[in-house]
Amino acid sequence: MRRFVISLVAAIVVVLAVGGAVVAGSGGGSSITRARLERSLPTTFSNLYADQAVLLGHPGVTPASLHATAMCDKGGAVEPDVGAGSNWNCLVSWTDPDNPMPPEGYGKFELQVHSNGCWTAGGPSKLVGFATLTDTKGREVTNPVSEFDGCFDPHGDSSPTGVEFPSLLGVTTTALRPDRDGRVSVQATCGTGSDGCRGTITATAGSTDLGTVPIDVDEEQTGTFSFDTPVPTAAAEVTFTVRLTRGVGPSKPVTLEMPA
Amino acid sequence: MTASTLASPRPSNTCARKEAGLGSAILWETRKLRAQLRSRALLVGTLLAPVAVVLVVGAQSRPPKDSLFGRFSTENGFAMSLLVLGFASQWILPLVTAIVAGDAFASEDQHGTWKTVLTRSVSRSRLFWAKVLVSVVFGLVALVVLAAATIGASLLIVGRQPLTGLSGQLIEPGAALGLVAASWATMAPPLIAFTCLALLFSVWSRNAAVGIAAPVVIGMVMQLVGSLGGIEAIRPYLLTTPFEAWHGLLAEPRFTGPILDGVLSSAVWSGASLVAAFLVLRHRDITGG
Amino acid sequence: MTLTTDADPAVDVVGVTKRYGPLVAVDDVSLRVAPGEVYGILGPNGAGKTTLLRMLFGLIRPDSGTIAVFGRSWSRDDVRTLDGVAGFIESPKFYPYLTGRQNLEGLRLLDGSGLPDRLEEVLDVVDLTGREDDKVGGYSYGMRQRLGVAASLLRSPRLLVLDEPANGLDPGGIRDMRALVKRLADGGLTVLLSSHHMDEVEEICDNVTIMNRGSVAFHGTIDDLRAMAPDPGHLLRTGDDRQAVAIGRARHPGVVVEPAPDGGLVATGSERDLSAYVADLVRAEVPLLAFTPTRTPLEALFFMLTDARPDDVRLRGKEAVR
Repeated sequence: MRRFVISLVAAIVVVLAVGGAVVAGSGGGSSITRARLERSLPTTFSNLYADQAVLLGHPGVTPASLHATAMCDKGGAVEPDVGAGSNWNCLVSWTDPDNPMPPEGYGKFELQVHSNGCWTAGGPSKLVGFATLTDTKGREVTNPVSEFDGCFDPHGDSSPTGVEFPSLLGVTTTALRPDRDGRVSVQATCGTGSDGCRGTITATAGSTDLGTVPIDVDEEQTGTFSFDTPVPTAAAEVTFTVRLTRGVGPSKPVTLEMPA
Repeated sequence: MTASTLASPRPSNTCARKEAGLGSAILWETRKLRAQLRSRALLVGTLLAPVAVVLVVGAQSRPPKDSLFGRFSTENGFAMSLLVLGFASQWILPLVTAIVAGDAFASEDQHGTWKTVLTRSVSRSRLFWAKVLVSVVFGLVALVVLAAATIGASLLIVGRQPLTGLSGQLIEPGAALGLVAASWATMAPPLIAFTCLALLFSVWSRNAAVGIAAPVVIGMVMQLVGSLGGIEAIRPYLLTTPFEAWHGLLAEPRFTGPILDGVLSSAVWSGASLVAAFLVLRHRDITGG
Repeated sequence: MTLTTDADPAVDVVGVTKRYGPLVAVDDVSLRVAPGEVYGILGPNGAGKTTLLRMLFGLIRPDSGTIAVFGRSWSRDDVRTLDGVAGFIESPKFYPYLTGRQNLEGLRLLDGSGLPDRLEEVLDVVDLTGREDDKVGGYSYGMRQRLGVAASLLRSPRLLVLDEPANGLDPGGIRDMRALVKRLADGGLTVLLSSHHMDEVEEICDNVTIMNRGSVAFHGTIDDLRAMAPDPGHLLRTGDDRQAVAIGRARHPGVVVEPAPDGGLVATGSERDLSAYVADLVRAEVPLLAFTPTRTPLEALFFMLTDARPDDVRLRGKEAVR
């Protein structure tokens, strides 16, 4: 029993010491990098998307015809894009005449990346469909691109791919809550992308201009924008118009009702 | 004791006597292993357990998606055998090999038989290498049985459909069978390293329970440490990393770097364990028994 | 390869020392066993006999000193030192999940080639024929002891080393074991025997080394030992101990009369003096209840040399009476 305890303690100490030394010596270097994901994900996605096209009976879709590219990011602007985690997001763009990209030009995939270089990706259902689909023979089958696994070579090419996509800014407030003086504020989130969101947001209530506020939000961050001019009591709704110099805003102005 | 005649000890010519060779020592160790219930039960287990696992997993209405190849496992025999491979490499293989290797030296302490064998004409080093070889070969035999049972049961019960690889590519059944078998074969180097680790603990602790449990616990700790984020830099040095090197075989383009790394790190772990075990045994005073 | 000749002593131990931390288990012990002789190592438990024999078998490495067996030593010849040597240390141990025969067959594999197959023969010698296909796990202590002898004989040894061969055996087993050792020795085998029974060694050994606390307390032939032996002590029980002591002191200077540790008296002296003393007691009408020898002279010497514990004395005394 004494030997067992000694062995156990010795083993743990050795493992911790060696592990600590290695981690300290390498600065925590990981083989999981943005570039490797940006190469791995489009390859796997293209193969599986072509399979989906066969199931759906869409002719002419091959992995090569999709020209898929991806830009990946871990945890937004505040975290380096390296290492395992479930907070990786990848923006993937591809060409399918039957299924055009949205205005921002990409779809967002959420990835869980394991330390062994394997990952699980969940695709945007608006672009790739739901977990199951109905094939040409009318059978309910698993959608190969709704959720899928892949692995990359931990020694593979890790030079930057140069693929960049702008962030997508979305207004996240769904109901206005004016303060005592009738002033409103609105929240907007800047999505995954290369450089965050910059520009202005203007609010109008009927014919009253509530003002224009500058936007400067990093990717995967949320900003709150308050307008100094009170909303006239007669106004039933407020319209917010976003104009961005960096990033992509909503294509149409967002209109929110005033509470009764 | 009878008073029967005992042929008087002939004045044997000691020059004619030969020291027991490695072959004799291996034969002896093999006989002991074959006579032990646990080694036979283990081989039967490695043969039957995969069949049960394949039957149970195959009957699930929702495939186990959180493991690699799990999402295809209920409809694809190759994916099923790779799912079982992923599970076995994490939890089963270190245990299977440690059950025999962890006992190899400690059982002599348990039965007090060191003095029985070492007072014959066999040197400690011969006996050491015989135990090492028999344990390693047993581990490999268990791996082959486990692999054959898993692949056989998966293909018979689930079927031989084209397999979706780790780059989304479609692999025809003929090629898939080869890749699945090769994936199982990549378990051999880390399995041998775990065998050597179990042998070291068996020599050092003189206790079969430690010899069996310690490698399994170390395997679990390494598995855990290897899966933590932020310290991926130590993965190449862990003995559990080679268990995942097969992923490269199922990707397109195929990559074998991790397999070569795995062979190297397994060799280093095996070598270090064996050298340490040899030194401990060589310098040990046999006072018990 | 070392050629051995008959001129080499069977065992040649020179200045062997073994320490375990502060404890010196064997302290600068030398002894030499000639081919063909029966040599006894005698000592109480913990005297270092077993450690010495383990070193002979290479199970323990000496800190200093050399051990040669038929001219071969561990440092030069490694396991070939054991060519021609067989025996067991403490109680022999076997694999309980194998049968007696499987154990012996396996050990034969480890003996190397060039030995005749004497399996049936040795099973017969130790009277295990008929039980050889039972698992050793079901053997009695005595059967295992006999299997240990069989395993030793299997090696056709020139030197047989037996560590406390009678230990743990019932009186019948002890008698059989001694008879066997005697028979083997008469056949020309060199025997090195350790024991804590003086009578066992006295019965069969030519030369003897008495060890105490790791060092040699006596070295020589049994005859040398006899010459050194003190007068026998006798346990005396009387109805009037005080008068018995007084008579001894007053009239019998050749007899020492002392109180015994567990009651009664112990009278020590030559046979002649003692009978005169006892006759005197009878004349003085001291009631005489018992007069028995406490131990044999050699035993007395053994306890003197090894300062064995009183418990042992009492136990051995009773055995001697029986």
